[in-house]
Amino acid sequence: MSGMPPELPTRRDEAWRWADLRHAERFLGTPPPANDALPETDRLWLDLAGPRALFVAGQPVGATAQAPAPDRGMPRHPLADLAAANASAGTRLEVAAGEDAGLVQLLHIGRGGAAHGVTRVVLGAGARLTLVESFADEGQDHWLNHRLDAELGAGATLVRVSRALAGRGLVSDRAAVRMGAESRLAHLSLGLAAGALRTEVEVLLDGPGAHADVDGILLGDGGAALDSLTRLDHRVPGTSSRQRWRLVAGGTAQASIAGGVAVARHAQKTDAEQSLKALLLQRTAVVHLKPELEIFADDVACAHGCTVGELDRAALFYLATRGVPPAEAEALLTLAFVADALAGLPEGALRDALDAETRDWLVRRTGGAAA
Amino acid sequence: MSAGSSAAAREGRNPEAAAAVEALSSYRWGFTSAIEQELAPRGLTEETVRYISARKGEPEWMLEWRLKAFRIWQTMAEPQWAKLSIPPIDYQDAHYYAAPRVKPSLKSLDELDPEIRRTYEKLGIPLEEQKVLAGVEGARRVAVDAVFDSVSVATTFREELRKAGVIFLSISEAIREHPELVRRHLGSVVPVRDNFFACLNSAVFSDGTFVLVPKGVRCPMELSTYFRINAENTGQFERTLIIAEEGAYVSYLEGCTAPMRDENQLHAAVVELIAEADAEIKYSTVQNWYPGNSEGKGGIYNFVTKRALCRGARSKVSWTQVETGSAITWKYPSCILQGEESVGEFYSVAVTNNFQQADTGTKMIHLGARTRSRIISKGISAGRSNNSYRGLVRMGPSATGARNFTQCDSLLIGDRCGAHTIPYIEVKNPSAQVEHEATTSRISEDQKFYAMSRGLPEEDAIALIVNGFCREVLQTLPMEFAVEAQKLLGISLEGSVG
Amino acid sequence: MLEIASLHVTVDGREILRGLTLSVLPGEVHAIMGPNGAGKSTLAHVLAGREGYDVTEGTARLDGADLLAMSPDARAAAGLFLGLQYPVEIPGVSNLLFLRTALNAQRRARGEPEISGADFMARVRAEARALGLDLEMLKRGVNVGFSGGEKKRNEAFQLAMLQPRLAILDESDSGLDIDALKVVAAAINRFMSPDRAVLLITHYQRLLDHVRPTHVHVLVDGRIVESGGPELALRLEQEGYERHAA
Repeated sequence: MSGMPPELPTRRDEAWRWADLRHAERFLGTPPPANDALPETDRLWLDLAGPRALFVAGQPVGATAQAPAPDRGMPRHPLADLAAANASAGTRLEVAAGEDAGLVQLLHIGRGGAAHGVTRVVLGAGARLTLVESFADEGQDHWLNHRLDAELGAGATLVRVSRALAGRGLVSDRAAVRMGAESRLAHLSLGLAAGALRTEVEVLLDGPGAHADVDGILLGDGGAALDSLTRLDHRVPGTSSRQRWRLVAGGTAQASIAGGVAVARHAQKTDAEQSLKALLLQRTAVVHLKPELEIFADDVACAHGCTVGELDRAALFYLATRGVPPAEAEALLTLAFVADALAGLPEGALRDALDAETRDWLVRRTGGAAA
Repeated sequence: MSAGSSAAAREGRNPEAAAAVEALSSYRWGFTSAIEQELAPRGLTEETVRYISARKGEPEWMLEWRLKAFRIWQTMAEPQWAKLSIPPIDYQDAHYYAAPRVKPSLKSLDELDPEIRRTYEKLGIPLEEQKVLAGVEGARRVAVDAVFDSVSVATTFREELRKAGVIFLSISEAIREHPELVRRHLGSVVPVRDNFFACLNSAVFSDGTFVLVPKGVRCPMELSTYFRINAENTGQFERTLIIAEEGAYVSYLEGCTAPMRDENQLHAAVVELIAEADAEIKYSTVQNWYPGNSEGKGGIYNFVTKRALCRGARSKVSWTQVETGSAITWKYPSCILQGEESVGEFYSVAVTNNFQQADTGTKMIHLGARTRSRIISKGISAGRSNNSYRGLVRMGPSATGARNFTQCDSLLIGDRCGAHTIPYIEVKNPSAQVEHEATTSRISEDQKFYAMSRGLPEEDAIALIVNGFCREVLQTLPMEFAVEAQKLLGISLEGSVG
Repeated sequence: MLEIASLHVTVDGREILRGLTLSVLPGEVHAIMGPNGAGKSTLAHVLAGREGYDVTEGTARLDGADLLAMSPDARAAAGLFLGLQYPVEIPGVSNLLFLRTALNAQRRARGEPEISGADFMARVRAEARALGLDLEMLKRGVNVGFSGGEKKRNEAFQLAMLQPRLAILDESDSGLDIDALKVVAAAINRFMSPDRAVLLITHYQRLLDHVRPTHVHVLVDGRIVESGGPELALRLEQEGYERHAA
């Protein structure tokens, strides 16, 4: 980096009011220390077939991978711009028209300092790709800053899971997706990080008939600070989107979602729905919800619903009368609560694996038997 | 007034209404400049503040309070976060004191611009009240006599309120007559440094209202009635303080459905409400300031800070607002729910047409256990206007068992306007429950066709559907105002179709 | 099996049960009848352990164990089943997952092995068929989108699947048409055996046309004011509860 150090956003910026960027401030301009040891990654991959690539502290393991040029057409963004300027390696996934590239897993490991990464996806007409990007660490403080730029051709389908597993530090991941006519996006942000997380999804629905499911599950415990932001930008007539976010916070965790829907002038027949729900497990935890609608067209169906509350006491009692102990009943109801957010993913092994991962977290959290 | 309203209700609407509104938009008053007024020197300095305080014969502590506010204001900046595009305001290029404002005097209603008179008739405003609004000479006495059989209504009201022990004065009078009460409560709900506009108001407030309803007293009348008939122009920096002691009840109505002229572009009022245990305050507003013309020229900037403190257990505050006027509205009537089981309500209809901009909503701050709040917001955007709901529901760590329900609905008329919903929900107590729903829709062709096929002209059909859309809010208004507000919605939206 | 002695229960400071005594032996079917507000549902809920019911006096024992000291799930594991008047809807938790979780939790509590998936499904199919419940319906959320009659049949289905020793059925007949009533009654009759017992709580006689009680009790004002055989139910049907009015 040269010249003036870049400015990080602060909580005075509306889009960052709930973000915890202390690790970004601390590690800005600090590269990770040299360390050639290979990390233990077995339990970090999802047990699914398909090509895998591993990045440790921003560097590829076992292969060279130049950082792809970012998509200059995407909206400017302070952290994504930093990632583009600083990434020394990355992944370009280009799928030709009509082809199905199956499932690809990328695993990013943070290891002290700041590591930047870029993934660029280009899907031709009718092409399909499922991409799981996971973010983890080895217990050291760090900052993993990642950017995904995806361009979906007409009728293309992208399934992407952003899976934050880090135990410490900060993971910031921003996905920017431009969608062509009749294309499909299913995006899930799974926030299981124990440190700080900023997960962001901006979708430009540029082609008629495009449909995006942008969902999230944020499970925060201990002192986790899980922050998310979406913007679904409906820019042409006849596009649709669904957002389902489920937040669970215990301990002194903070979980937040600022979910945005924007409908441009003339983007008639837009159909957009947001459902944001949160459960607080303890009085020391905090949740923030901000479901925002910005609408400039009149013939649209836009709605959002939000709830925050406890588990349904009548349902807990009903389970108890059938012999289910309290901890298990809580886990079962909590699982049902978050399971909605998996509905946007296609049925199959990936969804099952994520369902199991969510269940494991809840079981660990409640100490109850497997529901 | 009910007689006038029902007479108006019988009267059908006709296409001339549109023309009347057009006339208002072009703001053809024609008689405003010749009036002598006593003005403060142009500009805003400490000297201006001293001048205002001296003119009003205020005690030393009040002057000090204003000066402190002024010094803080000098260090503050205008808020930028609202979805509003506000032209730069030159705070030095204005008079901050014009006393007491003299209305243009007309010999009779015949001298009033016929277009405006027609608008009054559309609204169903009783003849005698029209005279008051239009500033016809001697109107007040006539109005009083016509409505209340030859007894001076002001005297009657004052007497009745005095018997009940209700203090109802202008804030200037209250500063003189009850300095200890004003001193204790002024700025206790909206602190001087709360925001730029509230701080400016604290330094230069012109006049306003003080109400204290003592313990256990149910205020014997809607204070609206009195207020309307005595609708003095309280100027651009109005200050209101209402205190309901333990178990007291008061319903207060501010504003007027009739379009009010005012050449002050900037209005920055502050309203503070305090409800003690088991007390209830119902505060209703109908705001129809000049919205600017159909090209977006002129119009009032309405930057209001309204806040209630539900201090006592089981206290309750309801805000109801029907906002149709002003070029720019920046307004968030809020409740701090401190007492256990206290209740806050916010019912709002905001209509924007042409180039109007509204950024309005509420904050419900739940501090006490089992506090409850309810927010119903209906935003209607037409023309090239922008209408935003901005709300905050905060459940503090001690708000055990607290509840909120929010419903925000937006209606768009035409495809050049904008409707925005920006709710914030912050929860720190696991037993608190928050429910929020929002929808955006337009007037369905089916509904419109159905109404038109039964004989309603298009604009009437739209007015009917819009009124249905707002029903939940309108029904919380005092009866006679609900009828007028309904008509007002229709008139505000005229010219929005086609 | 069930021994209730001098039970006093208050709800929100108001005494609802005022010294209720009742003894139920294996092989018996008891019907508790009474006017609205007599305390029938309170009895059902307090035996199942619902929050908000304060026992101020008296005891309730199941096979000698102090029922009132147990949590609701422990009571279920001990063999008590409550069929609710208004079964709860639980979106997102399928009926099958719900039942299997419950069944296995009870088995674990009793030190029994968990049921295999195949055995579980075989029993589900058999019992669902007997109760006229569609398997697809059982894959949906618990009671979600069920009609009143379907909810009651689902309660009977759970009774059949969970195999408790004592079933307390709170107004299991309300909201049922005659065909559904017969289905539910058949399930209750099928459930009964010499080592089990049923406590039927009902306002009307009509369920008793299909499930023959061994004992009938009249509950008025929080106390049992009269007990007898099946003939008592018939008399109540004709006379109403006026004779017992305080």
